[in-house]
Amino acid sequence: MIHRTKMLLAILLALMLVAAACGSDDDDAGSSADETEATESTDDTEAEDEAADEAADEATEDEATEDEDAAAEDGAEEEPPPVVRADADLVIWADDTRTPVIEPLAEAFGDENGVSVAVQEVNFGDIRDRLQTAGPAGEGPDVIIGAHDWLGQLVTSGLLAPVDLPNAGDFSPVAIEAMSYEGQLYGVPYAIENIALIRNVDLVPDAPASMEELEQVALDLVAAGDVEVPLAIQNDPGDPFHNFPLYTAAGGYLFGLNADGSYNAEDLGIDSDGGLAAGSQFQAWAESGLLTASLSYDVMIESFGQGNAPFAITGPWAVSDADRGFKATGVNYVVEPIPALGGTTAAPFVGVQGFMVSANAENPLFAQTFITEVMSTEEAQTGLFEAGGRPPAHTAAFDAAASDPDIQGFGEAGANGQPLPAIPEMGSVWSAWTDAYGLILSGESSGDEAFTNAAEQIRTLIAEG
Amino acid sequence: MSTAMTDAGSDAGQDQDDRRPGTRSRAGLLAGSMVGLLVKVIALGTLNATSIWALTRLVPAGVWLGVAFVVIATVAIDIVYLSRARWSIALKYLLPGTLLLLAFQVYPVLYTAYISTTNLGTGNILDKEAAIDQVVATSVDTTGGGDGAVSFAARPAQAADGTLGLLLLDERTDPPTVLVGTESGAVPAVDVTFDGDRVAEADGFVALLLGELADLEADFAALEVASDEGIIRLSTLNRAALVAFRLQYDAGTDTITDVTTGTTYTPVEGFFQSEAGERLTPGWEVNIGFENYRRVFASEAIRGPFLQVFVWNWAFAVGTVVFSFVVGMLLAITLDHPDLKGKRIYRALLIFPYALPSFLTVLVWQGMMNRNFGIINDLIGLDVPWLTDPWMARASVLLVSTWLSFPYFFLVCTGALQSIPRELTEAANVDGANGRQAFRAVTFPLLLIAVAPLLISSFAFNFNNFNVIFFLNRGGPPIAGAQTPAGSTDILVSYTFRLAFESGRGQDLGFATAISILIFLHVALFSAWSFRRTARLEEI
Repeated sequence: MIHRTKMLLAILLALMLVAAACGSDDDDAGSSADETEATESTDDTEAEDEAADEAADEATEDEATEDEDAAAEDGAEEEPPPVVRADADLVIWADDTRTPVIEPLAEAFGDENGVSVAVQEVNFGDIRDRLQTAGPAGEGPDVIIGAHDWLGQLVTSGLLAPVDLPNAGDFSPVAIEAMSYEGQLYGVPYAIENIALIRNVDLVPDAPASMEELEQVALDLVAAGDVEVPLAIQNDPGDPFHNFPLYTAAGGYLFGLNADGSYNAEDLGIDSDGGLAAGSQFQAWAESGLLTASLSYDVMIESFGQGNAPFAITGPWAVSDADRGFKATGVNYVVEPIPALGGTTAAPFVGVQGFMVSANAENPLFAQTFITEVMSTEEAQTGLFEAGGRPPAHTAAFDAAASDPDIQGFGEAGANGQPLPAIPEMGSVWSAWTDAYGLILSGESSGDEAFTNAAEQIRTLIAEG
Repeated sequence: MSTAMTDAGSDAGQDQDDRRPGTRSRAGLLAGSMVGLLVKVIALGTLNATSIWALTRLVPAGVWLGVAFVVIATVAIDIVYLSRARWSIALKYLLPGTLLLLAFQVYPVLYTAYISTTNLGTGNILDKEAAIDQVVATSVDTTGGGDGAVSFAARPAQAADGTLGLLLLDERTDPPTVLVGTESGAVPAVDVTFDGDRVAEADGFVALLLGELADLEADFAALEVASDEGIIRLSTLNRAALVAFRLQYDAGTDTITDVTTGTTYTPVEGFFQSEAGERLTPGWEVNIGFENYRRVFASEAIRGPFLQVFVWNWAFAVGTVVFSFVVGMLLAITLDHPDLKGKRIYRALLIFPYALPSFLTVLVWQGMMNRNFGIINDLIGLDVPWLTDPWMARASVLLVSTWLSFPYFFLVCTGALQSIPRELTEAANVDGANGRQAFRAVTFPLLLIAVAPLLISSFAFNFNNFNVIFFLNRGGPPIAGAQTPAGSTDILVSYTFRLAFESGRGQDLGFATAISILIFLHVALFSAWSFRRTARLEEI
């Protein structure tokens, strides 16, 4: 009898423990925020390092704190305290670098209109995830700062309101195009971001005219023992975002275009002739040693920053990283477009950031007025540039900022770029394509096999989704 | 609250009278019960205050399940702790735990089960009404102020009788026309006063000063002026635009019609869908029964690498438990030796991996195991593919998870060993058993009785140990040729995570929770079965 009671107690205990264990994967599912962030920073145009543990400028801190959240969550089985709408007429969610710039502008706007304004600081990646729960619950903000590739998810979930921007012509066309979804504008762009080639001028005095020349120069330097890493480009194990300019230069495309210029999810280019040719090119680069798997963000930034790599392909965040950035280490560098391969232009993904209005905004008119009449001015855009160092989307503000050679270099590289697809199907691409690059670079699969398989995986996932 | 305090007071007072001062002095007893009373009053007071605060949030939000739980739980706790009846004694111990169990274990599981029968996820997070509003609202045609868009400089205004209107400046004519727009339409103004180049007053409507707008914002946002050309609406506080909505909702038939093409959309599974199958977004959350479970079993994407993932998941969970238990136990036995000096230092050092946050140490391991740039390969001078070769990656994952969890078993075994009387092993030695025999016949079985339930719970934990798998290698290296992206070290949870959040068209919470529930059932069944087994072990 005693044994029986004990046994029952034991089973009860076991069920509780199991429930606890499952509780934690509910958290994974339920919040998704933190872990998703780890992988899907993909979608945060700014960080874009999806496969790698990227640490883009302030995203470094963001991610670190988010990881802490994730751990705290797993440990204590508690959701991190949700961000609750501040008690004000106009509430703006922005991340830590942009909050100080927006605050005075928002205050002035509030004073002028007799409304109270609150700028709440939220981690960049969390803004998107928390809007999805807080918005419909009426606890969300009026205005958010976001990346254009969130549009697919946020618009299909019905969380954003269309924006009517009369001075759209003052902005770079690619920024307006990126901020549009299904023919509707959903935000006021303020920054354009893309990766570029960064060259160590001491090691390589002249810009390579082509990828072929770049490969030759880089491998010669390695052979001579001057550097350890020929090309510092994140691949851990593979990185579709950073490889994209090389992929396009080798003849590949990701999604075909519809008549109206939007991406067509039915037309996947990874196993097209051009895509497969690019796959073989990556295999060749892996064999020659130009590209390696397991080159993490840390290795990338440290090898180039310490003069241990003649070239890097990365974004403005690696230049301006406070401690290890190329500016901080004092390496003699120049930012320039990624050279073409066999005459085909290298097209990096372009990410655009901007201000968006929540569909559940408490005061939509104030929100619309603020973003289209205050934040769309050259003055505001210049202020945001000075605080965050991201090339402005406002043409006049960009021209003023382009006196900085880095900004000009990134701008030139981005002129060839394509907007990072915002369609929700993009979610199916990252994981499979990352795997494919990883398999090619580690020599496990041929370029053909890996890309054919990745394309099939992506089609299956899109069909299942 | 005040009744609670007086009740508690009289309760404690009577306690005092009932007791006979024994070995302790009367003053000491009084002080003790005063402290007890104080603690009780503070604890119950805090609880009641918290509950009332919670109710002030829950009632306006209309969360009636939460209201019912808070009320019943608070009243029950107050009654049980304030009662001196015999029946309340057992409940004093059981009630708080049971309530917490309900709130933090049972409810989440039930809620997860509920979500698993819905289509909640990207595209389906609103309710139907909000989704319809949003479908119509985003079909607005202003195309970002682009070609052909008509907009007006506008000012919100109010007439003396409180009617709201818009003062519109139509600059398409020369000179510009001033229109007064109200709900009933837009009419050219006769009597206009300008303030610089802005209209200040027209036909009795006075432009509102900026400060006056705050309270009327919602009214102006909803104000639609039906002009001959279409609807004129404020885009911002200073500008209005002529807008047209491509999609119209008809509540009578519950359909949405595209007025430009005449296509009708009817509600199907949480979306408005045309006959051709074209869906309007956003959709809304709807119950879809067991569809998510059907997908788990029918999906080609899941079945693909499922078996491999499943087998590895078992190997990983069992392997981690066995290795960490063996390592932890051996170290505990070694450090249990009576003659060993500096035990405390060794023990403190051994607990380190346990004390550091695992996601951090796992990331450090990831760096150290990097094939080309990691410190391990640098130190040993070899090119070991720690994380890039499928079998090496599995070994590395096991190594790291063992490193993370052996201190736990070390601690547990240290404690359990100290509770085994030395006389037993000594008796065995007297009977002629050598050290190994004594360990096998006496110490180990006794240890197992204490540790077996922990082994099972550790298995349940490691079965879903997302941190190690995900942070060490993201489930990689990838399985070449898999039908869906899957890695050689992916376990069910990380694989589910990939499927539910990194694929398809965004996040698919309904599907993810369905898989969670299946994993839950699987682990629960296994745990229940093994507890049965260990119960038998105890009878030996």
